[in-house]
Amino acid sequence: MSSASVRRAARALEQRLLTLVAALTAVVLLVLFYYPVATVFADAVLADGRVTIEPIAAVLTSEFYLVDIIWFTAKQAFYSTLASLALGLPAAWLFSRFEFRGRETLRSLTILPFVMPSIMVAIGFVATFGRNGTLNRALSAVGLPPVELLFTLEAIIVAHAFYNAPLVARVVTAAWESVDARTVETARSLGANPRRAFRDVVLPQLLPSIGVGATLTFIFTFASFPIVLALGGFQLATIEVFVYSRVRDLAYAEAASLAVVETAVSITLTAVYLRYEASQRSAGGAANPLPRQSVLPDDWTPKSTLRTVGIAGYTLVVGLVFVVPIASMVLASVTGGDGGFTLANYAFLAERQATGASFQVKPLPAILNSLAFAAGTLVVAVPMGVTMAVLTTRRYRGRGLIDVLSMAPFAVSGIVVGLGLLRGLVFGVDVLGTRIRVTGALAIVAAHAVGAYPFVTRNVAPLFARLDGRLVESARSLGATRTRALVDIELPLVWTGVVAGAAFAVAISIGEFDSTIILAEGAGSYTMPVAVERFLGRRLGPATAMGCLLLLVTSASFLVVDRFGGRWGEL
Amino acid sequence: MRLELDAVSKRYGSATALDSVSLSVDDGEFFTLVGPSGCGKTTTLRCIAGFESPTEGTVRFDGESMAGVAPESRGVGVVFQNYALFPHLSVGENVAYGLRFTDPPGGGSRDERVAELLDLVDLAGFEDRDPDSLSGGQQQRVALARALAPGPDLLLLDEPMSALDARLRDRLRRQVKRIQSELGVTTVYVTHDQSEALAVSDRVAVLNRGRVEQVGQPRELYHRPRTRFVAEFLGENNVLDAVVESRPETGGIRVGVGDAVFTLAEGRRVLGRAGAVSDERAENDAKDGDRPARPAPGDELTFCVRPEQLRVGAGTNRIRGTVVDTEFQGATTRVRLDWGGTELVVAVEDGGEEAAAEFEVGTTLEVGFAPASAHIVE
Repeated sequence: MSSASVRRAARALEQRLLTLVAALTAVVLLVLFYYPVATVFADAVLADGRVTIEPIAAVLTSEFYLVDIIWFTAKQAFYSTLASLALGLPAAWLFSRFEFRGRETLRSLTILPFVMPSIMVAIGFVATFGRNGTLNRALSAVGLPPVELLFTLEAIIVAHAFYNAPLVARVVTAAWESVDARTVETARSLGANPRRAFRDVVLPQLLPSIGVGATLTFIFTFASFPIVLALGGFQLATIEVFVYSRVRDLAYAEAASLAVVETAVSITLTAVYLRYEASQRSAGGAANPLPRQSVLPDDWTPKSTLRTVGIAGYTLVVGLVFVVPIASMVLASVTGGDGGFTLANYAFLAERQATGASFQVKPLPAILNSLAFAAGTLVVAVPMGVTMAVLTTRRYRGRGLIDVLSMAPFAVSGIVVGLGLLRGLVFGVDVLGTRIRVTGALAIVAAHAVGAYPFVTRNVAPLFARLDGRLVESARSLGATRTRALVDIELPLVWTGVVAGAAFAVAISIGEFDSTIILAEGAGSYTMPVAVERFLGRRLGPATAMGCLLLLVTSASFLVVDRFGGRWGEL
Repeated sequence: MRLELDAVSKRYGSATALDSVSLSVDDGEFFTLVGPSGCGKTTTLRCIAGFESPTEGTVRFDGESMAGVAPESRGVGVVFQNYALFPHLSVGENVAYGLRFTDPPGGGSRDERVAELLDLVDLAGFEDRDPDSLSGGQQQRVALARALAPGPDLLLLDEPMSALDARLRDRLRRQVKRIQSELGVTTVYVTHDQSEALAVSDRVAVLNRGRVEQVGQPRELYHRPRTRFVAEFLGENNVLDAVVESRPETGGIRVGVGDAVFTLAEGRRVLGRAGAVSDERAENDAKDGDRPARPAPGDELTFCVRPEQLRVGAGTNRIRGTVVDTEFQGATTRVRLDWGGTELVVAVEDGGEEAAAEFEVGTTLEVGFAPASAHIVE
């Protein structure tokens, strides 16, 4: 072959490179996500190879399912959303309208719960509100009788608020900071008093973001699993928890039917959310934001005193909800049975062998598994996420569909993905007469990657979108091929997003619980969160030590995200 | 390099951005595309650079069709309005970027070539600076140096001055023109600023709604606009609709505008003729011969008179109007007259502070123009 024809072939290949990579990503997504989820749906509507609506109809006509499970799920999600708004909106007000030391730090800390494993949050709450938790110790120290707060709806709601109030605060702060002070000044000059100006000018600009925060919170808490499992048990079961219990009992059709109902609700909500978000994209910080004031007033009028007392009270609540659970967990991990300081719980984590204390869960392999799965997730999720970011920022026909399909994993719960992978790939599929099976470990990496890549996409896509197309055109007119321009110009300018996305992927993988607990075959592929859950009911010590380890990994991820990830107003 | 566009059309869905545009740009020529926003000038440029491919028609470099040739293989330097400097590279690395794909012209080293180019744009020693630390004008000169470094056969400038303030724009424009003629590189310049187009170009194409209205040297376009659009777009003009009354034996055409009757010279009286008649102009004149050059009585026609051709108290064709507005502009004063509902602009040479009273708002002013200073457009 002549060199010219080689070059021509290389060019032809290059022109199709994006298409090839996109096709590959589509195949991966199909195998790892759409096929497994379809299996679950098939389980729900197929019996002996015939289509039937019986299992779903059974769910939808059973009073137990409708009232005890589905209604309860919606109810706790609704209350959790209210609690998250109540806890998050004052924070948004403080972040956007006040100046105080540590404001920027606190503000970036609001991303932390997002990368925290929910099972870890659950341990924190058990360590705080459990029978021997911080609260009861404090109560008994002052001679009061102990209270039992675990396994109540309130505990679930507070834990959900821990998770979602920072999200609400984040989204609303971004909107509040982008309110142009001149719009308020105009209203004032036209005769509106401050309260009226807030109602007529500021509030309408905040409402979309409050809507976004509330909708996301509802979606997340509707599908919440580890928190409800750990803090509610099977007595207070959401759909997710009940699906899990059905899977444990090998009642797959029933599990599938419930999962279908849940997924339908989640997808509807997510679709509504995506539409909403698309129409309400706020544009970063305003050139002329509203002025900030000091938390401590200059002169103590009754009004300013009341405000300061309110802020102090709120700070106390924030301390109770956010700081105490984490502190309790750390404290419990170094407290022995006699109440003294000990590192025995950490020493136990390093033990290779299952001992009586661990109830057959080996801690060290769980830690190693978690790291291995995280590495696997990185390898799959980062290229997938970057490809999706490129695809969702290019213009072509049918892009809207690609956007929705690629973001669907956001809307489908880990339990459903896990169940699908279990029933589909782990149990085996017949392809052209060959039975294809994957191990639980591979399936876990698949589930983690599916859960993690949207975060890579969401970190990278805005950077791609912000890139001026003329940069690439300049490079090309100077002689760079399309791929060369990608490597020389685009990737260096989006790599911070890739790093942040990778950190997210690691955090998601390390903390993933929902699908892992379904896919973990025996103790061999347990991860840290699964081990924590196993320890949790039996012995708090090892659970809290493992929880602290999770906290460490999560915090490291957070630092990377915070350093490289930009402001992340949208998420 | 000689550039040709042969009946180039570009459509996006049902919207037509370019409608059969044909142009030819000679080797070493400074050629300008000018027109209002949305006229298709940037689309034309993008088709030449290869960022867009024409829906129909052909772009040729030295007679060779560019269909299917990637932008990186065209050897074209592009400078954008927003500079598009690579923010993660230093000034020197920006200028050197194109040299990653080709050897420096002239046989020197890359560093020498970068230094040479930065010197050319008066930024010698700026190699290690961060693009962000430069002013808008400096960034634009870096962008120019970057585009020129690989020694392109064709330089495309897409509104390169629009983001700069007026004074800087004038200076940079002269610098660009000087560099262009020093290097002799064929240049296509896109701008919406008609005065800029007239000031720097060898030839100008006026675009409107995706079509070429007229191509010619700046003076030719200014004094002999072919269409009403060109007459109104380039500089200020008084465009009047008239009806032919008669064609007197003595020559010329008598036309009526409202109640007034004017005598216009027939044929094309070229004012300030400059340069040799190019082939293209000969072609244009040949085309002019095709249209009804001898309007008959009763025909409608449109003619235009430049503000500076309207003289106070002089000229055969007299107009009495009321002053509605004056604008002092230094050397001249723009006086707007209301003439029976039609607004006319007169450029009056400034006669000092005492003379200003003559043009006070509300006074009646008589102006006139010579038959030869009116120009008939299509």
